[in-house]
Amino acid sequence: MARADVLVIGGGVTGTLAAITLADAGASVTIIDAGVNAGSDANAGSLHVQMQSRFMRLYPDQVPNVEASLPFYRAAAEEWVRLDAVLGGVELVRNGGLMLAETPDQLAFLEHKADREAAQGLSVEILDRRALDQIAPWLGPHIIGAELCRDEGKLNPLLANRLLRGRADAAGITRINGKVDGLALTARGVEATTAEGPLQADQVIVAAAWGAGRLADGFGVSIPTRAEPLHMNITEPGAPSINHLVQHAERSITLKQFGSGQIVIGGGWPATYRGPTQPPLVRPSSLLGNVALAAKLAPAISGLKVIRTWAGMNTTIDGASVIGALPGAERIIMAIPGDAGYTLGPMVGQMAASIALGAQTGFDPERFTPARFAV
Amino acid sequence: MTEITFTFDGHKIAAREGQSLAAALTEAGHRAFRETAKSADRGMFCGMGVCQECLVSVDGMPNLRACMSPVRDGMVVAKQAPFPEFSGAHVAPSAPMHLSPDVLVIGGGAGGLSAAITAARAGADVVVLDERKVAGGQYYKQSADGSVLDAQQQEGAELLATARGSGAEILSGVELWGAFDPLLFLAQQGETAIVARPKTAIVATGAYERPVMVPGWTLPGVMTTGAAQTLWRSYGTLPGKRVVVCGSGPLNLQVALELARGGAEIVRLAERAPHPLQRPFASLKMGVAGPSQTAKGVTMELALRRRGIDMRNACELVGVTQSGSELLATFRSAAGVEDTIGVDALCMNSGFEPQNEILRLLGAEMGYDPAMGTLRCHTDDAMHTNVSGLYAVGDCKGLGGAPTARQEGIIAGAHAAAATGHGDAYDLFAARRALASHRRFQSRLWELYDIAPGNAATMPDDTLVCRCEELTIGDLRNGLEGKPGHAGTLKRSTRVGMGRCQGRYCGPVAARMVAEATGKPVEDLSFFAPRVPIKPVAISSILAAEEALYGEG
Repeated sequence: MARADVLVIGGGVTGTLAAITLADAGASVTIIDAGVNAGSDANAGSLHVQMQSRFMRLYPDQVPNVEASLPFYRAAAEEWVRLDAVLGGVELVRNGGLMLAETPDQLAFLEHKADREAAQGLSVEILDRRALDQIAPWLGPHIIGAELCRDEGKLNPLLANRLLRGRADAAGITRINGKVDGLALTARGVEATTAEGPLQADQVIVAAAWGAGRLADGFGVSIPTRAEPLHMNITEPGAPSINHLVQHAERSITLKQFGSGQIVIGGGWPATYRGPTQPPLVRPSSLLGNVALAAKLAPAISGLKVIRTWAGMNTTIDGASVIGALPGAERIIMAIPGDAGYTLGPMVGQMAASIALGAQTGFDPERFTPARFAV
Repeated sequence: MTEITFTFDGHKIAAREGQSLAAALTEAGHRAFRETAKSADRGMFCGMGVCQECLVSVDGMPNLRACMSPVRDGMVVAKQAPFPEFSGAHVAPSAPMHLSPDVLVIGGGAGGLSAAITAARAGADVVVLDERKVAGGQYYKQSADGSVLDAQQQEGAELLATARGSGAEILSGVELWGAFDPLLFLAQQGETAIVARPKTAIVATGAYERPVMVPGWTLPGVMTTGAAQTLWRSYGTLPGKRVVVCGSGPLNLQVALELARGGAEIVRLAERAPHPLQRPFASLKMGVAGPSQTAKGVTMELALRRRGIDMRNACELVGVTQSGSELLATFRSAAGVEDTIGVDALCMNSGFEPQNEILRLLGAEMGYDPAMGTLRCHTDDAMHTNVSGLYAVGDCKGLGGAPTARQEGIIAGAHAAAATGHGDAYDLFAARRALASHRRFQSRLWELYDIAPGNAATMPDDTLVCRCEELTIGDLRNGLEGKPGHAGTLKRSTRVGMGRCQGRYCGPVAARMVAEATGKPVEDLSFFAPRVPIKPVAISSILAAEEALYGEG
């Protein structure tokens, strides 16, 4: 192939936005995508802003990083609102997210969390049961209150992916199927090794999620990108009834209703990793546990049928995103959302593109620098 | 039979106890059971719980399949809205049923019942799960009231009676929705969650019918030939007064005759393949391979001719439209001449698709059979798959018809019993000999019909392919422009296969289209990835299963 100005590794939402930003600035851009287990393909379209209790429980050491990132999440959700308009509608609805409490302890936890989030500029409020009855009458009787985060929302990821893909094609971005095995600096730029031969570019943006850390190895950093295979469920359609993104103060769940009327139930229940070329395997314990929990929180949905489940890869690092050039290899720019990759993806991609173009990102670059993983 | 009454959208309807809701509605002249998101009407299509098109609301509960639901006195039935209000749980979960038999047989048709009889007689503890009200499967279709119509139904009744007497436990009305490694099965029977952890499992889930995808094939009143046969054989209901039967294969011949004898006017029987006599050598080979079956076929054809039925070969359905209460079906002859006939019901069958979801989910190895256009499950001589303890018999493994399924069932039943310490699975020579003979006849038979999958390239752009998501072949063609490397990619970009039927009709079409566009051979991995649930499952059922398995309050 012809030498590209910029090679973007990873054609998910992050890489695609990086590529579009660069192409709009006049660069010749190529996306290479391995076509398997892309997080964007399996995503269920939650726009996460408030701190997720699941994450706080699983990775308590990363909570300070997440807390400091809250304004970043909020800006990322705003970016999706802009994209919704630019792309011509991705069924984005921003009625806010509810995090439910079943016990006074859980409600107290949410009150404390809401205070911390309000300090970071989020629009949050604690609702009692009476207030919940006004906006979510389908909730089970044991829910005593909830935190409402107005910055949150939901969108249709399949539609967004399709429109983004069309936008990238229209921008003249070359897209090739393939997997990059390694990167090397050359006299004139960067060479990416693939099974089909080397690819040359002036710069490379690594938007390869859980595969990104491996590509940065050997450049003085060790970025601990981990694949986290997660499980999701979707029901047949029902009348539009659930307006919010629904989560729980203590348990792993996300629940929302798409524009199609279908309810998507997920929230981080594990799937079984089966290697890089096969989708993760659905576990019975996750299917049963996740859906049963949904039925307990929202008994009104229990007459609906689940018509499909799937599993896909989430990526975790240290709670914060990795955005920036590799120290000593400035032509290689990392673009990895820290968590909630689909929410953060467009923002992270555009910031990485700005760095490649030598522009400012609008956020303190130190917070996201790959140099924090120097070895 | 007891007369009962119920209402459908306010109309009072008389029915017979034991009828399915779909049969009772059809008999009363109602065809449109639900409205789609795009405001189209849909009715019963597959008649066997696969297509999920015949959904109605019963006593305020939406999403019930009319074809699988028995009619009850006084029930209030309504046409299903595209986005029904939440209704809470269908059922209050009752105590779960835990099963751990030596041999679990999934599917109580020809293959499954034969397997169960053999395994139970060898001394194994056997449970059969069957989804219908009465077991017997699609070939032996039993009547709801126990009456017997003909020799085929009699043969099935005898097989079922033998199975019941063999010591095997037959559970009817069971919908199996979950299959997990190592041999964990989740199912629902009425209000009861079933958790099965058998030592061995024999999958005998049969096949469903391949449609003739033409513009209009989704109209109410268009149904599979097997669906019409179930209406008649199981419930004594004719699909309509004026009926046309089309597609390819001997089932069309048989059902046309059955419906004609039942009093329907068969306006036309259109077979896509040329008449067998135009291929005398192939016909002769079939006659030699299966003299009695061939004689049966000839007798049926003569009986149809005696009734003066318009039988046409090399005659192809090209489209269906609705005009008032009438369906207008347009056919094209080999010479390219088109004509249109008006009917109440159109029956179509163009071969079969194996119900191999459980096998694929559990990782059984599959190969593609291009002649039939289906996957075939690889098994050894014992019908054992590559997955430990998992056997496959009958049409779900690879199409072969009921007589083949029976012999495969006998072999698998004996081996599964032996694997659990019952019998030695030694004396199977007669079964193997009979199996070889049936397979020989089957391969000769299908050479005479045109059941290779239709060529998607010749379908008009406006032909619906994905019934659930209401996508046309044109939509899929547009989707191919994004150069999807896999059917799953096409699924995500177009939503093909994302509906309630889980891609059972559009999936094979999408898999072949993508394979052709990418220049790759069709194989197991070309199809949509197998996923639970195998059939849509109520959240309340999942809750019940979770409580049964993990006991969480």
